[in-house]
Amino acid sequence: MRDWLLLLLLALACSLLPLAGDNYVLRLGTIVAMYAVLAQSWNFIGGLAGYPSFATAAFFGLGAYTSAVLLSYGAPTGLAWTAAGGMACLFAALIGGAILHLKGHYFAIASLAVGEVLREVVNTTPDLTGGGMGMNLPVPKLSVAAAAQTFYFSMLALAALTTAAAIIVQRSRLGFGLRCIQQNEDAANILGVNAYGYKTAAFCLSAVFAGMAGAIYASWVHYIEPPDVFDILLAVKPLVMVLLGGIGTVFGPIIGAFLLIAFEELVWRSFLTIHAAMLGGIIVVLVLFMPNGLLALVRSGLARLRPAGPKP
Amino acid sequence: MQAVRTVFAAALALGLFASTSAVRAQDVIKVGAPLPLTGALSPEGLKQQRGYNLWAETANAAGGIKVGGKPYKVEIVYVDYASNTPRAVQVAERLITEDKANFLFAPFGSGAAKAASGVSERYGIPTIAATASSREVYDQGYKFLFGTFTPNETLIDPLTEIVSKGDPAVKRVAILARNDLLTLSLANLMQAAAKAKGLEVVMMERYAIGTMDHASAITQMRGAKPDWVFATGYINDLILIRKQMADQGVSPKVLTMIAGPAYKEFTEATGPLAENVSSASWWHPAVRYKGVDLFGTTEAFNAAFEKKYNVVPDYAEASAAAAGAILQLAIEKAGTLDPAKVRDALAAMDLVTFYGPVKFGPTGQITSLEPPVFQIQGGKPVVVFPAAVKQADFIFGK
Amino acid sequence: MIYLQVLANGLVLGGLYAAIAVGFSLVWGVLNVINLLHGSFIVLGSYVAFFAYAYFGIHPFLSAGIAGAALFALGYVVQAGLVNRVIAAPVLITLILTFGLDLILNNAMLLAFSADYRKVNLAHPLGSLELGPIFLPGDRVAAMVLAFLLTALLYRVLRDSRIGRAIIAVRMDREAAALMGVDVKRINAITFGLGAFMAGAAGALLSIIYPISPLNSSLFLGKAFVVCVLGGLGSVPGAMVGGVALGLIESFGAYWLGPEHAITLSFSILLVLLFVRPSGILGKRGYE
Repeated sequence: MRDWLLLLLLALACSLLPLAGDNYVLRLGTIVAMYAVLAQSWNFIGGLAGYPSFATAAFFGLGAYTSAVLLSYGAPTGLAWTAAGGMACLFAALIGGAILHLKGHYFAIASLAVGEVLREVVNTTPDLTGGGMGMNLPVPKLSVAAAAQTFYFSMLALAALTTAAAIIVQRSRLGFGLRCIQQNEDAANILGVNAYGYKTAAFCLSAVFAGMAGAIYASWVHYIEPPDVFDILLAVKPLVMVLLGGIGTVFGPIIGAFLLIAFEELVWRSFLTIHAAMLGGIIVVLVLFMPNGLLALVRSGLARLRPAGPKP
Repeated sequence: MQAVRTVFAAALALGLFASTSAVRAQDVIKVGAPLPLTGALSPEGLKQQRGYNLWAETANAAGGIKVGGKPYKVEIVYVDYASNTPRAVQVAERLITEDKANFLFAPFGSGAAKAASGVSERYGIPTIAATASSREVYDQGYKFLFGTFTPNETLIDPLTEIVSKGDPAVKRVAILARNDLLTLSLANLMQAAAKAKGLEVVMMERYAIGTMDHASAITQMRGAKPDWVFATGYINDLILIRKQMADQGVSPKVLTMIAGPAYKEFTEATGPLAENVSSASWWHPAVRYKGVDLFGTTEAFNAAFEKKYNVVPDYAEASAAAAGAILQLAIEKAGTLDPAKVRDALAAMDLVTFYGPVKFGPTGQITSLEPPVFQIQGGKPVVVFPAAVKQADFIFGK
Repeated sequence: MIYLQVLANGLVLGGLYAAIAVGFSLVWGVLNVINLLHGSFIVLGSYVAFFAYAYFGIHPFLSAGIAGAALFALGYVVQAGLVNRVIAAPVLITLILTFGLDLILNNAMLLAFSADYRKVNLAHPLGSLELGPIFLPGDRVAAMVLAFLLTALLYRVLRDSRIGRAIIAVRMDREAAALMGVDVKRINAITFGLGAFMAGAAGALLSIIYPISPLNSSLFLGKAFVVCVLGGLGSVPGAMVGGVALGLIESFGAYWLGPEHAITLSFSILLVLLFVRPSGILGKRGYE
């Protein structure tokens, strides 16, 4: 119940953002929501099952291009976005069959290679995707403010949906099974967990929402190029966000997404050409000093404070 | 409850971003410039920055820009978008809404300029693109976008003219193109132009971005026995292609490469192999114009640039400075900072600058320039066309 | 006849790829760390060679040793000071740590050297060897031969020296090696340093072939990845075989399918190989 209540409160609080801010704040909000989706998505396979996936960028790009191609053939937006999720999910199921038997670094590399292959496939099919020339999407006939709000709420709804899925999965047999797999896959198999099926399910979950995020993103910016939507940073940043917020938790990915984007925005304003190094610095500090994320740090800090404090 | 508090703190912080919007100073003109200062395009970003800085410093040293009799200082707000187009779009919106930029310089190249122009169009902010040449950028029906590069075919057509007239023995053309917006567009135009001149295109291949080896393509090229090799790419690609052509002894009568040889980094990196490489660009320091802008003549601009940076300006640097000079002329003409009026002044502009005559077509792309064709001779790019500024004859290989 | 040239292209390119990947493979195989700094290490080596040639006239073939030594020191410090702290953590942690370190190093190089492409232009270029219809670029062949000699040296060090045997012991079984009195942390640092040495030396040798810029680091890294998976991890011969295999695949792929498909092809083969034989061409089955 607590998780659902939190999600509801969070969604409500976030829907107030258009009252507070101008279009740029809404843009930032949309980006945070988008990365929250990607971080949640990664958390299914990377956080719960412990498989270090770099396929997030592949799913995102695949979703973006699926939706863009459908829209260019005149499909309605809602259908195109949904189909993008479906396509990413189907692709994950297929590719998962091939690479989920790999472990550790091998899985990481295979998932990375998936994105590279997709990018080059898009690059070399100019008739369908525009290839290296990129692809234009229809511009929605909306005012600046209305467009900003539409895409903010679309992305926010998707983030809420993804989080709802995360809550459900965490409490289900699937979540339990995935944690078993993370602890010890062989033992999980012996215990009767269908590891292969569970991993594939987690991989598909990590694809479907990322694909839809890509689709919404494509409609939002209405011009996409292969290097942008298959950008390796789209796979790495969600992972850093999850580490930042707390791996395997429900709200960690959201908090991580918010903190990292906020940090980037601040650094970006203050340091013209060293923001990459600043991001690197954060990652290094994070990995070396708080591998369990900020939430855990806060929790352990509180736990340490409590006994010392005076009892009411 | 901790999580709830975190969330509210977070929402509050987001709100704070909104309220930090700077109060617009009264006597400053802010020009927003999203640039790729890091990432794959950073060499280009730095060039543009040099051009913009020279303009802003020159303008401010002369007392700023006069708007209705009152002098305004120029302030350029740079933001790095790390060569990432989505970020360029985001930066454009931030510069307009948060930093309250009066005007915008578009991000580098055709792709990013196209993506970002949608934002400035929606906010009605006049935007000058200093490095976007592809027609697709300007065909969007936008009113606030202006570009200082003529369309790509203006580079190709004079080249094919010179080569086909200069040596009738040149018959077979091989094209090797980077699979990217500008470079692919140039290659497609070249293919069409070559066919139109009755040349035979014996090879047309694309290579992927990030290709580290061209040996096979060049082996194929050698087999095709071209008289004219036309390669497109960015400077790193072209350095490698030139080197690997030499490795396999491919030496056509004509070797054309776009867009790298105009940069001194190309001649430095390829050394003697740069000799006789031909190219075309939108501007060249050898052109001579008498402008009404703050720099005056082309010679004066070259001198000012060399004084500041100790190097001869190339076309990207000159175009960036010209973007500033053109914006200044439009503001002075309009006599106001009102974006719509400045936009109209840009659209109606018809005058000469150090960069060349400036008149924008109905799409906002400049139509008045005649891009020079040049060739590396004696380690320096020398102009071979147009006749008015020609420094040497085109040299054909054997 | 033309196939002989394509074959020669592939073999020469493969030799360069092997040089790029050897150090990366060593670190991955022994430490189970994917060193994402590897590409930047190579670029740094190229800069050492560039400046050594520009200011002191030292030929890159000689400065390869200097670049290697400098990078060894850097690698040793990085491993001893940072990576060793999380060496036992899940693979994701070390991967992301080196990613962060690479962001810092690459950004620092960008500020220090700018992204402008440079190249070492030898006063006396090596030209091309013409063997009948086949052209062999002299600088590539020379760089390849030197890289091969360095690799052979590394192989001897691993086989015959005390430290080399300790490294192999750690690769086989970390705990057992520790029990036998091997200072595992020190061996880790030396291994990482050796990987960086190979990267720096390779970078110096490549400085006469490729334009030099911090922007190239991800390209080198990408090749190292593919080579390692193709050849099998941690073994020096594996990296050689993987490099040559990739060189041939790209060369023939580009010739048959067109240059735009060469990269797609190499990544597709990587995926297929991971599927059917994750241990690589020379690797042992079951190694994770």
